[in-house]
Amino acid sequence: MKLLFVEDQEELASGVRNYFLKEGDICEVATSLSKATDKLYSFSYDVLLLDLMLPDGDGLSLLKIVKDNWPDMGVVIVSAKNALNDKLLGLELGADDYLPKPFHLAELNARANAVYRRRKQEGKQKLTFNEIELNLENHEVKINETTIELTKKEYELLHYFMVNQNRLLTKQSIAEHLWGDYMDTMDSFDFVYQHIKNLRKKIIQAGGNDYLKTMYGAGYKMKNER
Amino acid sequence: MNLIIRITILFVLVSLVVFIIGGVISFNIMMREVNFEQRRFLIERLDRMQLRIERKPPKDTLEWTKLKVIPLEKLINERVSFSDTLVMHSQLDRLELHLRLDAIRNVDGKSYLISLYDVIVEADDIRDGLVESLLTLYLILLGTVLILGFLASYFILRPFNLTLEAIKSFSLTKPDQKMQFPTSSVKEFKRLNAFLSEMTSKVQSDYQSLKEFSENASHEIQTPIAIVQSKLEVLIDADNLTEEQIQQISSTQSTIKRLSQLGNALSLLTKIDNKEFINVSSIDLSMTLEHMLEEFRELVELKSIKRIVEVKEGVIIQADPVLIELLLTNLINNAIRHNWEGGNISLSLDEERLSISNSGPELQVSSNELFQRFKKANQSAKSMGLGLAIVKKICDFYDYQIQYHNDADLHTIHIRF
Repeated sequence: MKLLFVEDQEELASGVRNYFLKEGDICEVATSLSKATDKLYSFSYDVLLLDLMLPDGDGLSLLKIVKDNWPDMGVVIVSAKNALNDKLLGLELGADDYLPKPFHLAELNARANAVYRRRKQEGKQKLTFNEIELNLENHEVKINETTIELTKKEYELLHYFMVNQNRLLTKQSIAEHLWGDYMDTMDSFDFVYQHIKNLRKKIIQAGGNDYLKTMYGAGYKMKNER
Repeated sequence: MNLIIRITILFVLVSLVVFIIGGVISFNIMMREVNFEQRRFLIERLDRMQLRIERKPPKDTLEWTKLKVIPLEKLINERVSFSDTLVMHSQLDRLELHLRLDAIRNVDGKSYLISLYDVIVEADDIRDGLVESLLTLYLILLGTVLILGFLASYFILRPFNLTLEAIKSFSLTKPDQKMQFPTSSVKEFKRLNAFLSEMTSKVQSDYQSLKEFSENASHEIQTPIAIVQSKLEVLIDADNLTEEQIQQISSTQSTIKRLSQLGNALSLLTKIDNKEFINVSSIDLSMTLEHMLEEFRELVELKSIKRIVEVKEGVIIQADPVLIELLLTNLINNAIRHNWEGGNISLSLDEERLSISNSGPELQVSSNELFQRFKKANQSAKSMGLGLAIVKKICDFYDYQIQYHNDADLHTIHIRF
């Protein structure tokens, strides 16, 4: 996946960039609208991560240019302007998703991935991790070719782990991914535990391995036992 | 009361006093003049009588109408005296007040007593006349003032009223609105309009910059938080961290999250204050509430809370969906958070009101402080104390009545639409 992150805060940009690089993706950074435009005309990207407040203008104007010239490019708006207007306007102008700042890198990764996969319909509708296979189209989960029944939340949870393999996902990040800002994250930590427990049980029952590791009570990591 | 009516009434009252005083003064002056003229008239007749006596001195008492001349035996000093007397009026056939002049005149060394009288203009006649004329005058004045008052209020105060109309449509939330005031040739109105245009544009620009400030402040807070967040995430993902280090990073992340939520909540309160939620649509409150309860189902079950829900179908209200969702989220969240393990929540909704009650520990703040910002039932709790402040703000925004009351450890919040 090749990303362009348009963000004037270089520190944030480099953090995001490193995260994606570790993931095996290519992420480039543009710190202004003009730089972003230059890059867009020179190279091709799969997904554009767009901040709205930029030193030389409003990110929404760039969104229009992108939609006019590269309609296939996925766009995720990443903005601190958590105003409903911007969100609606952004989605109306053709952005695929909207993620308010501050965000978890794992969440950004999951969203960018989802957008990317939705855009590129080239047999990439499946995520696999050893014997676990997740079909993004019909939300089917198979362990060693056997379908297992997961609740909506369990599916979302597994999906979150699958796109963020080998990464520590904090309880907070998981809770926010599953329930958004609806709930007080403090309260929902116990649920995260419950859901992980259930998910683990279902995978093991279907003959899968337990890849979900508890990391010192801070979070969980999906990784190969090695 | 209308300004012009007030001025008219004041004018009418003042002119009444002036008319009364004026009446008294006119009466006195007229009486003085009448007296003076009457006396002069009698004196003139006296003089003519004297000339007559000089020409032809009478031997005996002479008596004509309104005149009597008596020759006296002795010579007495000349004198003149006036007195009032009642005399039968020949035509009116009744006693009328007359002015009488008794004078001693010496003609050719002989004294004569000359008595003259004539009908007097009576004081009450003058008074009646005066009162009648002044009353008529006053009524004419009254009519004129009233008519002129309304005409003046219409024509002279027209620019003022137009200004009032214009200012009524002034709204802070419409930043592009340029206030247009009618032009007027009256200096005071010109000054008023100039002042108003200046003030409204200043208020608008101040409001605009305040709004920008709070938006920017929220933005400027969220961006550094995002940086910290991303760095912590990279950090926590590093290999070779000890358990304690991971725990600390994790707890820092939660703190950072709270800071971010605080910023969002405060900017939300500002936005409601700034009346930025003006999208009004019909909301099926019953459905929204059911949906909301479904969202919270897991949380309720986890705390083994019993729910008693009595939601009437099809309760529709007119409001901004975002605000109503916030209102419900905060109320339900609140009822769950401040509840006991295995406690209960009951919710009822009909066209009139929404009630939500929950069991839970006694409040540590007084119930009227409950809806203020940063007032928490439990200061050590990890909540921010903004949930109910947001609820209150939304209720105020839509003029809903919100009430809290508790019965032992059952806390109830009523919202009347």
